[in-house]
Amino acid sequence: MIRYLRLYAHFVRFSFSRAMEFRLDFTFRIGMDMLWYLVNWSFFWILFKHTPLLGGWTYDQMVVFVGGVFVADAIQMTVFANNMWWLPVAINKGDIDYHLVRPVSSLFFLSLREFAANSFINLIMAAGILVWALARYPSPFGAAAVATYLALLLVGVVLHYSMQMWFLIPTFWMHTSSGLREIFWSVDQFSSRPHGIYIGWVRRLLTSLLPCALIVSFPTKALLEGATPGLLAHLLGVTAAAFGLTLLLWKLGLRAYASASS
Amino acid sequence: MSPRLLWSIASVEARKRMSYRLDFWIHALVGLSVQLGVAYLITLALYRESGASSIAGFTLREMMAYYVLVVVIARVVTATEMDHSVSQDIYEGALSRYLLYPTSYPAVKYAQQIGAMAPALVQCVIFIAWMPFVLGVPAGISAGGIAMGAASVVVASLLQFMMILPIQAVSFWADNVWSLMVAYRIVSRILGGMMIPLALFPGWLRDALPWSPFPYLFAMPVDAVLGRVSALQWAQGTGIALAWCAALAVVTAVVWRRGDLQYTGVGQ
Repeated sequence: MIRYLRLYAHFVRFSFSRAMEFRLDFTFRIGMDMLWYLVNWSFFWILFKHTPLLGGWTYDQMVVFVGGVFVADAIQMTVFANNMWWLPVAINKGDIDYHLVRPVSSLFFLSLREFAANSFINLIMAAGILVWALARYPSPFGAAAVATYLALLLVGVVLHYSMQMWFLIPTFWMHTSSGLREIFWSVDQFSSRPHGIYIGWVRRLLTSLLPCALIVSFPTKALLEGATPGLLAHLLGVTAAAFGLTLLLWKLGLRAYASASS
Repeated sequence: MSPRLLWSIASVEARKRMSYRLDFWIHALVGLSVQLGVAYLITLALYRESGASSIAGFTLREMMAYYVLVVVIARVVTATEMDHSVSQDIYEGALSRYLLYPTSYPAVKYAQQIGAMAPALVQCVIFIAWMPFVLGVPAGISAGGIAMGAASVVVASLLQFMMILPIQAVSFWADNVWSLMVAYRIVSRILGGMMIPLALFPGWLRDALPWSPFPYLFAMPVDAVLGRVSALQWAQGTGIALAWCAALAVVTAVVWRRGDLQYTGVGQ
């Protein structure tokens, strides 16, 4: 474990020095994410001009949800996004060969080696927005509730990573340039909307087989309405199953991997 | 550019887009279904929880018709949005080869955009075909409105092209303009009326937006088809959109001339 943490510290250091080589792009990306935050907040702000509730939540509750979406997205962009972008390329070009001979997990290396330094700045901003959202909420939250919320948000990020891998690992068999990445990006829209708007079979689907509605909505629900054992078991159970499926798919994918010599 | 050359470039591009047919249709089907699904569920929750039968002049059915049209029309207008072909040509030094082409570089790129729009247009027709059976024919639809809407799509595609060109030309100086393109995409989606109908925006923003180019990308074609704008409003809007095209052409020419001075096409 210590070895993996030290390795990750090296990844972070290299990523920062690489990011500073392209300073203009570094600035553009920070601006891009700020716009994304502004647009997403505006979306709900405009809708709440026409309704007192949306998905069962008030505007104040929705601001907390949106803050959670920003933080989860920023963690995803900082820690995983660059690696997820290059994974299909590595599979198709046979670059995984280099990682298979290393004495660390290939999944760990390929999922985490690139830390997006510019997105880390956005993570700080997103965290600031979330703190503001929590502070402006009419009834203050206890420290334990906030700690549980943040822990569940991290669980949501792991769930998001696992789901993303389901759509990228098929590259081992399909050999397309991006696997099913664009389909994931489409489906991922469900995670940035509150689960209360989903009804019937869509709700069942999005909280079980395609658990987009759990990523931020369930941690927010735990904070706003209390972390019931049922809710915790649901989120943790689905995340464990999703991560387990990712490990299994990765193992199967490596078996089908054709290597660089093919 | 001669119409024959334009047709040739456009048809090559259209065929290129269709070369991975299964991918093309799966991505379109999933993308459109999810976008519509999310819009439908948000809209349904909005009407249910507000208790209103009409919001900003839209009934639930009209709002749904708006979303169906805006999602498919945006697919046509933005067919080449994230291709980065211009910035790629600049990075890779591939601009040099266009010196041999019997037409200007922007004309070739616009012909390619038209080619990319053709398959998206087919998808658009297929996806809209079910609308009358599920949502009924919205009350304001007329032949004149559809004609105005079709003309607005043509103007929107030109406007989209003219807005993207100067952003991509930043590649002469920057190592990567991907984030600028994503930023443009984010802003155009909300201010163009793709995420929410512009009628729901606060009054001060509704008053200011018609002077910007964004409403003419997505909202204007849809509003024209749905009969939500008069012929006069449509003509004024189209005039503003074309004026933006002209202004952006000037900006692009200036940026391009400056960028060209430091362009190197080694090895091409």
